[in-house]
Amino acid sequence: MAFKIASSPHVGTTLQTAKVMQRVVLCLIPGIAAQLYFFGYGTLLQIAIAIITAYAAEATILALRNRPIKSTLADNSALVTALLLAIAIPPLAPWWVIVIGTLFSIIIVKHLYGGLGNNLFNPAMAGYVLLLISFPVQMTDWVSPMSAAQQSVDISYAWKVIFNSTSDIILTGHNLAIDGTTMATPLDTLKTDLSMGLTTHESLAKPIFSSMTGLGWFEVNFAFLIGGLIMLKLKVIRWHISFGILTALFICSSFGFLLNPDTHVSPIMHLFSGGTMLAAFFIATDPVTAATSARGRIIFGAMIGALIYVIRTFGGYPDAVAFAVLLANMCAPFIDHYVRPRTYGHRSGS
Amino acid sequence: MLTLLEQLDKGSLWQSPGGIHPPELKQLSNQQAISRLPLAKQFVVPIPQVGEQARLLVDVGQTVLKGQVLTEGNGFIYLPVHAPTSGTVTAIKPVASNHASGLPVLSCIIDADGNDTWCDLIVSEPSALTNDEIISKIKLAGIAGMGGAAFPTHIKLNTASEIDLVIINGVECEPYITSDDRLMREHSDEILKGVEIIHRLLNPQRIIIAIEDNKPEAAEAMQQAINHSKLPANSARVTVIPTKYPSGGEKQLIQIITGKEVPSGCLPSQLGIVVQNVGTAFAIQDAIYYGKPLVERVVTLTGKNIHRPGNYWLPIGTPVSTALKLVDFSPSSDQKLIIGGPMMGYAINNAYVPILKGTNCILAPSNDEISPDSDEKACIRCGECAIACPALLLPQQLFWHAKAEEYDKAASFNLQDCIECGCCSYVCPSDIPLVEYYRIAKSALRVEAEEKVLAEQAKQRFEARLQRLEDEKLAREAKAKEAAEKRQANMKSSDKDAVAAAMARIAAKKAAQSNDVNQQTDIQNNQAVSDSVNKKSAVSAAIARAKAKKAAQATPPPSSAENNTLQQDNSIGNVAEVSMSQQDRIAAAVARAKAKKAAQHNQVITSDVVVNDSASVSTLEIDSTVNDKKAKVAAAIAKAKAKKLQQVGIANDTDGNELADVSSITKTAVASSIGSEKLVTESKTDIGSLDKKARVALAIAKAKAKKSPQGHDRTAADESSSSLPINLNTQISNGTSTSSDNEIIADAEPENVEQDKKARIAAAVAKAKAKKLQQTESSNVKSALSDISTRASQTENVDTAALDKKAKVAAAVAKAKAKKLAQQAEKKD
Repeated sequence: MAFKIASSPHVGTTLQTAKVMQRVVLCLIPGIAAQLYFFGYGTLLQIAIAIITAYAAEATILALRNRPIKSTLADNSALVTALLLAIAIPPLAPWWVIVIGTLFSIIIVKHLYGGLGNNLFNPAMAGYVLLLISFPVQMTDWVSPMSAAQQSVDISYAWKVIFNSTSDIILTGHNLAIDGTTMATPLDTLKTDLSMGLTTHESLAKPIFSSMTGLGWFEVNFAFLIGGLIMLKLKVIRWHISFGILTALFICSSFGFLLNPDTHVSPIMHLFSGGTMLAAFFIATDPVTAATSARGRIIFGAMIGALIYVIRTFGGYPDAVAFAVLLANMCAPFIDHYVRPRTYGHRSGS
Repeated sequence: MLTLLEQLDKGSLWQSPGGIHPPELKQLSNQQAISRLPLAKQFVVPIPQVGEQARLLVDVGQTVLKGQVLTEGNGFIYLPVHAPTSGTVTAIKPVASNHASGLPVLSCIIDADGNDTWCDLIVSEPSALTNDEIISKIKLAGIAGMGGAAFPTHIKLNTASEIDLVIINGVECEPYITSDDRLMREHSDEILKGVEIIHRLLNPQRIIIAIEDNKPEAAEAMQQAINHSKLPANSARVTVIPTKYPSGGEKQLIQIITGKEVPSGCLPSQLGIVVQNVGTAFAIQDAIYYGKPLVERVVTLTGKNIHRPGNYWLPIGTPVSTALKLVDFSPSSDQKLIIGGPMMGYAINNAYVPILKGTNCILAPSNDEISPDSDEKACIRCGECAIACPALLLPQQLFWHAKAEEYDKAASFNLQDCIECGCCSYVCPSDIPLVEYYRIAKSALRVEAEEKVLAEQAKQRFEARLQRLEDEKLAREAKAKEAAEKRQANMKSSDKDAVAAAMARIAAKKAAQSNDVNQQTDIQNNQAVSDSVNKKSAVSAAIARAKAKKAAQATPPPSSAENNTLQQDNSIGNVAEVSMSQQDRIAAAVARAKAKKAAQHNQVITSDVVVNDSASVSTLEIDSTVNDKKAKVAAAIAKAKAKKLQQVGIANDTDGNELADVSSITKTAVASSIGSEKLVTESKTDIGSLDKKARVALAIAKAKAKKSPQGHDRTAADESSSSLPINLNTQISNGTSTSSDNEIIADAEPENVEQDKKARIAAAVAKAKAKKLQQTESSNVKSALSDISTRASQTENVDTAALDKKAKVAAAVAKAKAKKLAQQAEKKD
C-alpha cells in the first residue's frame, strides 16, 4: 500500500493562532472586570458593538478579497482587535465612535495592508488614534470612577447614553447626570493643571487622584498587569517587549521625577495610569507589528516606554500609548533589519 | 577560571539555545530487550556508488555469503557494501530508495537461503594491528555513522587535526527512538571496546559519553562499563545532559558539553572534537574484534500501529515492509510511515525499501500521535520559531524570503546554518511547514550555485573557442599570404607550353602505372613509404602536384619556388628532382604516381591537415582564377590526348590491374575536365553542374559495368563485388588526393561541394575499376584484389573515422551497383 507523505516534523504544537488569541482574550478578563467595576458597564456595550462590527467588517472584506471567511474569522484576531479598541475608548462614547474606529482598524489598517500578519500598524491603536484625532471631545470624556461619581453606570444607563448621542447632551449640558459621570482622565487633569501653573502636588491633591495614582486607574492597570503575567506564564507572550516598555518608562520617569518633582509625576503614577499596562502586555506585544528578535523586541519595547514618557510629559496629548506604539511599529522593520541574533557558528558582528 | 578539561571532568554543562520538549514516548519501545526477528526472504542492498566510485563484484545468479563484499572501489567517501545474509543474487536493478524522494537506486536483490552463513571472518586482536590497519578494517567493514547521517566513519577517525575530545553520542533526543538506549543498556561493554579503539586511533585527552537524563539505566550501564574498561583512568566519563530536543545534534551537543560553537561551514575536528554515535562504536568493536562487517543494526520499530513495538536486530537491506509485517503492523487509514523520529524523520510512500546503515527507527504512528494535516495560515510573526531555533536563526525571516523566492536574501539570513531540526515548524502556531520551505530554498540555492559554476565554465569554453578561432584565422591568413607570395614567384618564372605539360603528365602517369604494375612489390614499397611519410606528405604532394600542373599550364619550367614546395616533402624528394628537369616527363609522372599512392594511404590520417591545407590551396586558387580558366582548358585538351594514349595503352598493356588504374584515372580526369569546361562558362560555384558531372561519370561507369560481366569467372565477380566496398573506401580517399588535380581544374569550389564531387568521382572510379577488373583474367583479378584488399585493410583502419557521410553514401551506391553486377554476372553465366 502507499503511505501518506508529509514533510518533517510530523508532530507539532497544539497551540495554534486561534488558541493564542483566545488566551489573550481570557487574560484580558481581569482588566475588563476592573474597568467595569470602576467605570461602569459602558465598556461592556462598547465591547459588544466592537465585536459585532469587527466580525461584520472582517467577513465583508474577506469576501471581497476572495479569502476563506470561516477559517479566518476563527483565528480570533478580529476579536482581539475589537476588544482592545473597546477597552481603550471612553466607556460612554457614542456608538458611532467605536463603529468607526473598528471599521477603520479592521478594513484599512489590517486588511488593506494584506490581512493578519501583514499589517504594519497595530489595528487597535491605529483605530484609537484615528478616533482621538477626529473626535477629541468624545475621546477624552471618561466616566469618573465609581467612587468619585457615587453613581453606578448600569447597562440600561450606558445603553441610553451610548445610543442617544451623548455628546450633544454633554455639550448642551442638558443631562446633568451624565455631566456628573464624565470627566477628564487623571492624566488629562494633570496635564491641564500643569499647564495652568499648578505643581504636581497641588494637582494630585484633587479627588480624582488616589494616594498613588488616579482613582480606579491604579486598580485597572493592576488587573491588566495580572492578566499580562498570566500570559507570560502561559507563554502566550514573551517578556521582552513588556519588560522594555516598563523599564524604559520607569527609568525615564524616575529621572524626571528626581530632577523636578514639581512638574513631573512619580514613576508609579506613570506605570499605573492611563493605558500603560494594557499597552505593555496586550497592545505592544501584538507580534505582527512588533520587532521579532529577542533583542529587537527589547529595543522595540524600550522605544515605546520612552515615547510614552516623552509624549505624556512634553507632548500635547495626555496619554501617549497609542502614538508611542504606532511610532514604534514604524520602526519595527528597521529594528529587525539591524538587530539580528548571531547565528550559531558565526562570530558576533558577522 | 577552570580550564575546559577541568570543566569537562566536573561535568559542567552549557546552555544550547532554543530547543523544544516534544512528548518523548520512548516508553513504547524501551521496555524490552533488543530481540531478533525471523530472517527476511529477500533483501535489497542498495549499491548507489556502483558506476561512480565502485564496481560490482557479483553477478546475477551468484551465491553470496553473509558479510561477503559486493562492491569494490576507492573513492574518498567510498564504502564497501556487504551481503546481509547468505543467498543468491537474483537481480541487480534500480529499486525505490529509502529516502524522502523514494527515487530508485541501483540495488542488489538477494534471496536468502535461510542459513545465514557467514563468510570467512578475520578475527584479530587489536593490539596486533597498527592504526592504519585498524582504519582500513573499519573502512572495509563499511562502517558509517549510525546516528542517521551515515557519514563514513573511517574518515572521521583519520582526521589530520589534533583531537582533544571525543564525544560518544548516546543522547538520542528524538522522541520514540530507543535503539541507542537499549544498545547502551545491553551492550555497554562492547561499546566501550569500540570506544577504546577510537581512543587509540585519535588519542584524545578526554572521552565524554553524553546521555540525556531520561535514560538513567543507560547512563548507569555505561558508567560501569567505563569503570572496568581499559581506558586510562579519568580519561572517560558519562555526562548526563538535560533532556531537550535537539541536544543530540552534533553541533548542539558540542555546545552543551564544551560551550564551543562549531564555526559555520567547518567540521568539529577543527575544534579538536570528534563526535561518534554509540552504535558506531559498537560496530567498530564488531569489525575489529570479530571481523564482522556492518550488516545489521538495532532498529526501533514503534508507534501505536505496531503491536509489538521494540528494538530489533535487523540486517541492513531488510525491506521495511517485511520488518513491519514481523511486528504486527496494522495500518490505519491515511497511515504515515516515518523513517527516523517524528521530528526529523521522513515519510515514505512505499514500504518496499531497505533498512540502511543510518535507519535507527521506523515509526508507524496512529493518527492521534501525529499532527493532523492543517492548512498553512498567515504568519503572525510571533517569533516562537526564533526562540525555538537551536541555531539562533530567524526562521520567520527565512520563511518570509523563502516564500517570496528571494533565496539570496534567505541566504543572507544564514539559511545554510539551518540544521533542519524542525523545532520552528513544531512551535509554529500557524502550522507553517517552515523546514519544508527551507529545504526548497536550500536546494534552489544549491541549483543556483551549480548553474553559476556551469555558466562560468561555458563562458571559459566560449572564450577559449573565440581565441582558437582567432588563432586559426591568423594562421590561415599567414599561410595564404605565404602561398600568394610563392605563387607570384611562380608567375614570373614560368611560361611553358601548357599542352605539352599536360601531355607530359598523362604520359608520366602511364609510365608510373606500368612501373607500378610490373612489380607487385612496388606497391608494397609504396606502402612502406607511406608508412614512413609524415602526415603532411599526402597533402603537400597534392599541392606540389597542383603547382606543377599550374606551372606547366600557365608558365615556363618549374621555378625554384616550386622546387622548394616540393622539397618540403622528403618522401617525394625524387619528385622534386624529376620535375626540375621538366623534360623527363616520365620520371616526373612516376614521382607523382608515387606521391598519389602515398597520399592514398595517408590522406585520411591527416584529414585535419587536409582541410587546412586544401583551404589554403583553394585560397591560392581563388587568387588566380583567370590562370585557372586557361589551365582548365589546357587540362581538358591534355586529357583528351591522354585518352588517346590510354587507348593505345590498353591495346598494348596486358596487365588488367594496371589498365584499370590508368583508365580509371583517365576517366576521372575526363569527367572532371568536362565538368570544368562547363564550369568555365557557367558559375564557378554551380553545384548542379558538378552533380551533373558526377552523374555523367556514374552513368558511364554504369554502362561499362553492364558490359563487364561477360566472359567472367563468377568467383572473381563475387570476390570483386565483396571487396568492392572496402576497395571503394580506398578509392574514395584516393579520390580525395586525385581531387587536388580536379580541384585545380574545376577551380576553387567551396570545400564541401568539392568533397561531394570527389566522393562521387571516386565512386565512379571505383566502379570503373571493378569493371575493368572483371574484364581481365581472373588470375590478374585475384592478384589485383589481394593488392586492393591489402591497401584497403590498411586504409580502412585509418579512415573509417574520417570518412565523411558523403563518402559512405557513395560507397553504398557503389556496393549496390557491385551487387547488381554480380547478379547480372550470375544470370549471364
